Amino acid sequence: MLGTVYTGFGYWDVSSWIAFFTIAAALVLWLRAQGREDYKEGTEQDEIYWSGNVVPEEGAEITVPASSAYWGFRKAMAPFYKILTGMHTGIGTDIVGYYVVVVALLAVFILL
Amino acid sequence: MNWNDHLPALLLAIPLFGAFVAPVASPFGRTTRNALLASFSFLTLLVSLFLLRHTLTNGIAVYVMGGESFDLTLPLGMKLPVRIIMEVDAFSAFMAVCGSIASFAGALFSMNYMEKFTGLGRFVSLYFLLTVGMLGMMITGDMFNFFVFLEISSIASIGLIAFWRDRPEAVEASIKYMLISQVSSMVFLIAAGALYGKYNVLNMAAMGALIKPGTLEKLALVFLVGTLAMKCGAFPLHMWLPDAYAEAPSGVSCLLVAVSQASLYGLMRVCFSLYGVNLGGAFIPWAMIVMGLSSMFFGVAMAVVQHDIKRLIGYHSVSQVGYMLLGLGVGMLVLTDARGMAEYGFTAIKGGIFHIFNYTMYKALLFLAAGAVYYTTGKRDLNELGGLARRMPFTTGMFVIAAAAISGLPPFNGFVSKLLIYESAFAVHPALTVVALVTSVLTLASFVKVFQTAFLGPERSAFATVREVPTAMLFGMGVLTLAVLVATLFPSWTLSYLVEPAARALVDQAGYVGAVMGGGL
Amino acid sequence: MIANAPFLLVGLLFLGGMIAIFMEKNLVKIAIAISVIGSSVNLFLVALGYRNGGTVPIHYMAGENTVMVLPTPQAMTLTAIVIALATTALLLSLIMLVYRHYGTLDIDEIRRLRG
Repeated sequence: MLGTVYTGFGYWDVSSWIAFFTIAAALVLWLRAQGREDYKEGTEQDEIYWSGNVVPEEGAEITVPASSAYWGFRKAMAPFYKILTGMHTGIGTDIVGYYVVVVALLAVFILL
Repeated sequence: MNWNDHLPALLLAIPLFGAFVAPVASPFGRTTRNALLASFSFLTLLVSLFLLRHTLTNGIAVYVMGGESFDLTLPLGMKLPVRIIMEVDAFSAFMAVCGSIASFAGALFSMNYMEKFTGLGRFVSLYFLLTVGMLGMMITGDMFNFFVFLEISSIASIGLIAFWRDRPEAVEASIKYMLISQVSSMVFLIAAGALYGKYNVLNMAAMGALIKPGTLEKLALVFLVGTLAMKCGAFPLHMWLPDAYAEAPSGVSCLLVAVSQASLYGLMRVCFSLYGVNLGGAFIPWAMIVMGLSSMFFGVAMAVVQHDIKRLIGYHSVSQVGYMLLGLGVGMLVLTDARGMAEYGFTAIKGGIFHIFNYTMYKALLFLAAGAVYYTTGKRDLNELGGLARRMPFTTGMFVIAAAAISGLPPFNGFVSKLLIYESAFAVHPALTVVALVTSVLTLASFVKVFQTAFLGPERSAFATVREVPTAMLFGMGVLTLAVLVATLFPSWTLSYLVEPAARALVDQAGYVGAVMGGGL
Repeated sequence: MIANAPFLLVGLLFLGGMIAIFMEKNLVKIAIAISVIGSSVNLFLVALGYRNGGTVPIHYMAGENTVMVLPTPQAMTLTAIVIALATTALLLSLIMLVYRHYGTLDIDEIRRLRG
């Protein structure tokens, strides 16, 4: 049941993958457990260090908002995204227009 | 009278009965309505599982609606079949099981999610009608009957997408979907009518026996492919999909995923069983491959920059449909070439079909998890979410499983089906696999963004009162997680018992035709 | 040539409806255009069932004439008309809701969901 999947070109074995993963996870957890345990919880040894600044109480002020994720990717591909979001106008008749144009092109090319 | 023979009719009758009983049972209270919703969805799931078992052991199941006997397709020695005939082969039964699991999970989720809405008797009725439309599309063997079920599911989904009628965006999404849906259904009807006019049959199997290559058939094929690809969400016909999936209530989005898979099923039926060897060269397969590649890449490119969680997941729907179109297009390309089929074509079809199952399960789970987040916090914008993992551990865990599955991370089921698609697409041209791999990487990128902003991070004071979602919603998500984990841990069992019979049934046009026409081609 | 006149009319109606969908800005006019397209498809279905010199496809009403018009497209058309009825009703009620929310029926203005 927990067998291998033979594609025509290779194979995929779930049980081997899970076995390797558990061995690696055990190793990682053992390494992590080698840390020091002689710290006092609740004192300033437990505090978040934020480059010396004061950590605000409100969690919302230290989150990175989602809209700023991958800004490098978006900036590098800005021309591409301008065209792509320009296509997605949101106007209802544009949606029908794309459908009609695609069907018309397919019809022309299938008859050629 | 063996009850196994009547399973196709039962599969449609049970949710249809539920749809008509719902407005009558709804005034009796919330418990009655919820019991109706849960029990009828569960019964539909049971019937679909029995139908799958019946089809895997006994071959194609044929059901004549209104005939003297359930399989009397050619009465009195007629040469063409009469009456509406349901034809369930392994692929149809497989799709029906996928759809019923999604419907059951969405029903369980909607029991609690829709509390704040009014008019819930009509919601349950529309929900069951959408289930009937989806299942009908999957098991019918008649072109016009397919059109009728397509319209039933369109009407029901339009009503359900606009269900939150106080919200302007929901009504806008619904009306945009309605415009494109109406135009494309009319085009579909023209194609079906034209094929009827030429061959004088509406039955898909009979038409598959009679069809010959020609101009009218090519145009009809283009119209059918265009409409069905629009319903699946292929680029550039996908513009309605993120809006509609985002604005629908989450239990409904879960079911809409399965409905778009029913259209993909219709597309495969038309290309493999209706046209089959008469597909007329390599144009339509290559058109599907190109549509698949563009859906994959442009879908995920748009998804990376979204900041509304359900809209992001909707764009990923577009991208995942591209994978299925790529796999099935590669299989269609070598349909007539026996050596190509044995080398990579059959693997591509298996990959595409397995991906349909995986996609329905993990995408429905993603929508339900997003709905759970919205239910507890009241927000959908990722800029305003954060730190929910402490408060909602089960939802977070299930979201992680679904996100890892959609990104194609081993060991999850998404990886297995994507592996099959990558390897068979590589045999056609390496560039196809490159696009698929880049898409996978970008998918992982966007889901890392969603997971980090919504679930990880510091806790917000606005969410101090957030608790885990109610049990029924967790149960609904759990059903889908169980399906994902079964496909993850037992991939070879799933492939050989579920996917391979479906793939073999799809490719076998002669068998599909022979089950109705009685052996002669 | 005269026998093909219904099909030419179908083509003209379909084309007219399609052009109206793209040229018109008012949602109600777009809904009317969709209705026109539906009518053209129904005309197509009925017209392809006609046989030359054919009569009513009911045995005891046909008289001595043995050529009958096809009944199946008539059934298909009736079903299509009923489906178009349901969708038109839904479309019009949605247009009413859109007007209540947005205050306008211009399709270029109803695009809060974009990008």
